[in-house]
Amino acid sequence: MVEAPALVVTDVQKSYGGVVVLHPTSFSVAAGHVTALAGENGAGKSTVLKIISGQVRPDQGLVSINGEPLTSSDPKSARRLGVAIVPQELAPYPDLTVYENIFVGREIRSRFGMLDRSAMAKQAREMLDVFQLDIDPRWRMSRLSVALTQIVEIAKATTWGARVLLLDEPTSAIPDHEVGRLYDVIRQLREQGVAMIYTTHRMAEIQEVADSVIVLRDGKLVFESGIEGASESTIVKAMVGRDMDALFPDQAMSTGPVRLQVQELQIGKTCPCVSFEVKQGEILGIGGLVGAGRTEIMEAMFGVRRSSSGTILLDGQPVRRNHADSAIRSGVSFVPEDRKGAGLVLERSVLDNGSLPHLRTFTIAGWIRMFARRAAVDKATKSVNLKSRGLGQSVGTLSGGNQQKVVVARWLTREGRVLLLDEPTRGVDVGARGEIYTIIRDLAASGLAVVFISSDMTELIGLSHRVLVARAGEIVGELDRAALDRPDAQEQIFRLASGQTHDESKAEAS
Amino acid sequence: MAQGSDAAVLKADKGESRFDRTSMINLLLRNLMVLVVLGVAVYFSIARPQFATLPNMRTILIAAAPFALIALGQTLVILTGGIDLSVGSVVALSAMTGAALSVGHPERMWLAAGIAVIVGLLAGLVNGLVVAYVNVPPFVATLGMLSVASGLAYAIGKGAPINGLPREWATIASTKVLTLQAPVLVMIAGFLILAIVMTRTSFGMRIYAVGGNRTAAEVAGVNARRILTSVYAISGALAGMSGVILSSRVISAAPYLGKGYELNAIAAVVIGGASLNGGRGTIWGTLLGLLLIQTLNNGLDILVVPSYWQTVISGTLIVSAVAVDMLATRRSNK
Repeated sequence: MVEAPALVVTDVQKSYGGVVVLHPTSFSVAAGHVTALAGENGAGKSTVLKIISGQVRPDQGLVSINGEPLTSSDPKSARRLGVAIVPQELAPYPDLTVYENIFVGREIRSRFGMLDRSAMAKQAREMLDVFQLDIDPRWRMSRLSVALTQIVEIAKATTWGARVLLLDEPTSAIPDHEVGRLYDVIRQLREQGVAMIYTTHRMAEIQEVADSVIVLRDGKLVFESGIEGASESTIVKAMVGRDMDALFPDQAMSTGPVRLQVQELQIGKTCPCVSFEVKQGEILGIGGLVGAGRTEIMEAMFGVRRSSSGTILLDGQPVRRNHADSAIRSGVSFVPEDRKGAGLVLERSVLDNGSLPHLRTFTIAGWIRMFARRAAVDKATKSVNLKSRGLGQSVGTLSGGNQQKVVVARWLTREGRVLLLDEPTRGVDVGARGEIYTIIRDLAASGLAVVFISSDMTELIGLSHRVLVARAGEIVGELDRAALDRPDAQEQIFRLASGQTHDESKAEAS
Repeated sequence: MAQGSDAAVLKADKGESRFDRTSMINLLLRNLMVLVVLGVAVYFSIARPQFATLPNMRTILIAAAPFALIALGQTLVILTGGIDLSVGSVVALSAMTGAALSVGHPERMWLAAGIAVIVGLLAGLVNGLVVAYVNVPPFVATLGMLSVASGLAYAIGKGAPINGLPREWATIASTKVLTLQAPVLVMIAGFLILAIVMTRTSFGMRIYAVGGNRTAAEVAGVNARRILTSVYAISGALAGMSGVILSSRVISAAPYLGKGYELNAIAAVVIGGASLNGGRGTIWGTLLGLLLIQTLNNGLDILVVPSYWQTVISGTLIVSAVAVDMLATRRSNK
């Protein structure tokens, strides 16, 4: 294929408020070619996709599609040039039919301006046939699985003749046995000459569908190669870099007696049940793919998600299950993944947010002791080095990193025993990330038992004293510090997490 | 707009060196309602000398008292992101209960008044339980209670008002302490207590938290269901008090008493700058909203504006108040 590339990105650059999220980057994708775009969270993948699809205007640089430059950055003109994006978070209309979902915004009308439903259904049928989908376009969207929804979304994007298709983590929510259907669709589109960019966290997938790979790290394009020159380990190495030593200095682990014991905790209706222990001063990482049930385990430990049986012991004393307030009283802290949705009351001040979890410690019969509260929150926010205009600032106006510091600090107004963190650095810039690692390490050193979930391999391996790997709601493997120091630690974790069972990880996984 | 000057000062801080026109305008917009209330009062005082007299001020306060209690309850409910449509009917139900129990029995008048308030509390409690534990949307749950309470009020009087209450029943509303009538004092006490509760107690803070982000509040250990149940119960009890005051004032009770009051109360809260999505609003704002509505009604009465035009004016006012608030918020978020 020597024809001109369908998509050319030239020296595109973007920064937000002085923070560079994308250094000048150039690459191209040929028609009928699938390029995998790899990189960790925050590496700049979504910025690239947003620029190409016209949602974000680059500070400089040029995007051209089939030789035509994308001049004004708005999704409509990108679409006119033939760019379609299938976002990671799909937003179908669950109560409308499949064909209505496909035709929303471009409805076919009859002569009198009325909807021509049969024509739409018929066209939808033809589209679905192209992808050999055995579904009736008159079904309600809610009846389809996530994979099928995803494919309908792709069908929708391609019906109006998209020549460049951007797929943002299309498989992150799809169960393994359905991924094959998606691959078929992608191969078919490749035959038709559609240029595709595909982002994913799963290494095996890249080998499966991509023709070439580009890797972003900290906003820079650090690796570009045809698929034949890109083995799993080269990609991972490019993604991670080796500057992790700076963020994660070697540390002596000084663990005490067992602090937290989770025994046969059952979350769904049937086991897998989860059992593990954490010692005082220990940092336990939980790795696994998105959707592996890690968040569920942590929420059940804290009591905001129902567990049906099992025991949680804190320093040998049982903690009441399914009761967050008891967990809090006995010194368990929880920093949820969805900072804005589940962590903060955005309209309220740092002071209010900072004092909410341990409000009891500042009240006498319901009366807030204003001075004590202010002093405690002030101390806690100082200890995490919060940058704000004062305790009265509403947290909605803080940066992501500072919001996360508030979510952590509000648990520090009182001495705790266990700290649970779910993806503590998601959406946090690199600088603040380092600070959060320091905070976590210091808290562990002070005797807390820390459990954290992370999809970021660097942080999982660098920060943890020990790593558990979850898959399908179960703990399927464990790596101690010695195993984490071995160069194949990442591969080990990936294998356990994705359920690949070749070579020696098999023994540990089962 | 009546978010309090704290927020305004903070917003102004953002400009740091440029404490300029923009921040001044924001400050003005944020406290616009105070200016509007003052402006309206000044206008009426100039137009009709009898407006700015002590007796007329007292009239305004006395007229405001029953609305004020309802608006206070409504404020708490709206702060949690809910709405209480049933308060008007609960007023009627409580008034009818109190009247039915005390008619011919002056000796148990206070007992009857107490029971009337408890009936209001129970109606609110049912609202709260249905909203918090059965997850019925507040609009639907309280719409149902509106109908049920109204029906019960009619049932108590077998479709008719209850007259011939003991003369002592009137003392509830007419007793004077320090030259102020009891209902006015109850209103003032209500505002002070709730203003303190909302800013100085963990209950108040949790109401804001549940309304601002229920999930986050629960993750922080707040029992959101208990908070929700309580605010509806409080709203019901305050509506009950309002019913007793209203019936005491006319020494009778009618099943259509309080009809439409819920909308008045919601208007006062919304004019006061509260968000119907919850989490944003103040007791102080509700006081301003209430004062504006009452001042306007009183002033327009004095100017002999026909009541149908008064309705048009207050409708326009509600929408403008919220529109200005939206503009101000957008401005200061830039």
